[in-house]
Amino acid sequence: MSDRRAIEISGLNKWFDDFHVLKDISLTVLEKEIIVVCGPSGSGKSTLIRCINHLENHQEGSISIFGEKLENDKKSADIIRTNIGMLFQNFNLFPHLTVLENCTLGPIWLRKIPELKAIEQSTTILDRVGIADLAAKYPGQISGGQKQRVAIARSLAMEPKIMLFDEPTSALDPEMIKEVLDVMIDLAKSGMTMICVTHEMQFAQQVADRVIFMAEGEIVEMGPPDQVLKNPKWDRTSQFLEHILTH
Amino acid sequence: MDKPSTPKAELLEFIPRPSRPPVIPTDGFIVKLKKHLFSNIWNTLLTISVFTLLFMLIKPFLEWAIFDAVWSATNRRECLAISPDGACWPGVIQWLNGLIYGRYPIDQQWRINLGFGLGLAWLIPLALKQVQQKILIALSAIILFPFLGNYLFLGGSDHWFNYTVACVALAYLLILYLNIALTYLGHKTPGESLELLIGHFYQKRAALFGRLLIWLIVTVLLVFTFQNLTLVLVEVDSWGGLFLTLIISGFSIVMALPIGILLALGRRSQMPVFRWFSICTIELVRSVPLITVLFMSVTMLPLFFPNTIQLNKLAQVLVAVCVFAGAYMAETVRGGLQGIPPGQFEAAKSVGLGYWYTMAFIILPQALRAMIPNIVTSFISLFKDTTLVSIIGLFDIMLMARNISIDKDWLGLHTEPLIAISFLFFIFCYSMSQYSHHLEKKLKKSR
Repeated sequence: MSDRRAIEISGLNKWFDDFHVLKDISLTVLEKEIIVVCGPSGSGKSTLIRCINHLENHQEGSISIFGEKLENDKKSADIIRTNIGMLFQNFNLFPHLTVLENCTLGPIWLRKIPELKAIEQSTTILDRVGIADLAAKYPGQISGGQKQRVAIARSLAMEPKIMLFDEPTSALDPEMIKEVLDVMIDLAKSGMTMICVTHEMQFAQQVADRVIFMAEGEIVEMGPPDQVLKNPKWDRTSQFLEHILTH
Repeated sequence: MDKPSTPKAELLEFIPRPSRPPVIPTDGFIVKLKKHLFSNIWNTLLTISVFTLLFMLIKPFLEWAIFDAVWSATNRRECLAISPDGACWPGVIQWLNGLIYGRYPIDQQWRINLGFGLGLAWLIPLALKQVQQKILIALSAIILFPFLGNYLFLGGSDHWFNYTVACVALAYLLILYLNIALTYLGHKTPGESLELLIGHFYQKRAALFGRLLIWLIVTVLLVFTFQNLTLVLVEVDSWGGLFLTLIISGFSIVMALPIGILLALGRRSQMPVFRWFSICTIELVRSVPLITVLFMSVTMLPLFFPNTIQLNKLAQVLVAVCVFAGAYMAETVRGGLQGIPPGQFEAAKSVGLGYWYTMAFIILPQALRAMIPNIVTSFISLFKDTTLVSIIGLFDIMLMARNISIDKDWLGLHTEPLIAISFLFFIFCYSMSQYSHHLEKKLKKSR
């Protein structure tokens, strides 16, 4: 972890119509910090990281990436593109492209890397997530865990500094969760700044610098995993943890 | 103690069974027939009655069209004298040239054959496996071929612009084939050789400039080679028959898709100006019959132009048909766009793709693939709809067929020409639909 501020959120408020999803969220994420966000469904945790990636617009407050405040313009889009990668619960791979093409599309057209070089780089990344042998397959031909690893490779190919994970293992069979978590742990150790919305508490325990517990659109509790997961201050947190650990 | 105090229970090793090949039914033809057509009394009765009905319908038609038909005669009276109950095909055979080429001068018809030959030649590389960058070839065919065709079919000595652009198009086609041949033989293409040469001086866009330069050189060569060749001017008024039908339908089929895509994207756009323009165009055009659009473009459009400008009837018709087909295509494409899950847009955005890249690489390829059956259906109905231009006096295949019945030799010969062109239409439409099935199968494999 360094002292540089990767993400700075202050006074963030968001409504879906008249439903108040995010209430006065303020959060600073340092470079290379690993943050795990957990909380019951509808607590606004997904919305929070989708706001960081500008998939959702917020109504109040500000979000800054490496000191640059995000607006609704082209410059902010570039900042997001060059700095942030995102993973989704249901992978969202491009089904009409091969695994390799999924990875090389961004580098070739956005980073303007020559095709051969992009293929070489993407192959290296696919190898790193352990699926180099699937390069020529289409997403419809591979398993869920493999799909999520392709999605990670696709994001990594754009060389982001920050990765957002929106429940990356919730749609996976138990046997496949581990292969994705292993890749995420590997990423965390390589010095990536990460915000993970996940209910994998073991993962949180193992790699998180801070755990955030959200409920009803607010950050209820925030701190090192040992503190939040083992000695929560609030009853809401301990109720939730009980459900998760005993389910 | 080294070992744990409670020894683990011994586990059995799981070995999966070997797979068996699937069971293939081995019924013979007779057994299948029995199973499907004569499985019980009711089905047997049904089968027999349906076959009897078919026999009763087909037999008289075959007798009329083939067995009792007349194949050679000089006029209709002769036909009737030989076989009063049979079809009289000589009329159609004698008019075959007119049905295909309309009133295009016979000694100039090689230009039409050459034009369509070149058009086919342009499309052949698209079917070859080894060829790269097929989208570029298809685009070039769409953009360049109309100019080449225009000059070949129209001709004229003072159309220097048409002549030059036709040479540009022909040059592209020649280089395309040269490149394919050289690549197949394992040689460098001239464009690549020039790229290396230019690369010594100017690294950045060497590949592009190399290709453009070779294109320019071949074009100049062609312009000088053919400068003494003058094609006789054949006015659009004498174009006709299947040739004209194919030009109108081919042009509008090719234009309908881009127009439709733009209108569909416009209709889903966040920008009110584009959205409302698209909605108005689509709804207005779709709520009016094609024949009305055709009449409006032929009779009303000239009112908006000064008297000095003589509008070309074919061009007016082409514009009308394209707009009409585009509006329908827009709704088909929009249907495809709506079927794309929002996750695809989000994923594209999180990779960093902007609007046009997202549409071009992620959304449209999926949307168009899903819509192939619907798109081809629109193409087929458009192909058939173009026969309406006969009503506003273009001598397309329909009007030529009707003309046979007012020829003094073949007065009153209505049925045979219509059946003949139905047969032609069937061939074209059926091949289109078969091609779309082939395309669907091929694309399904890649998923």
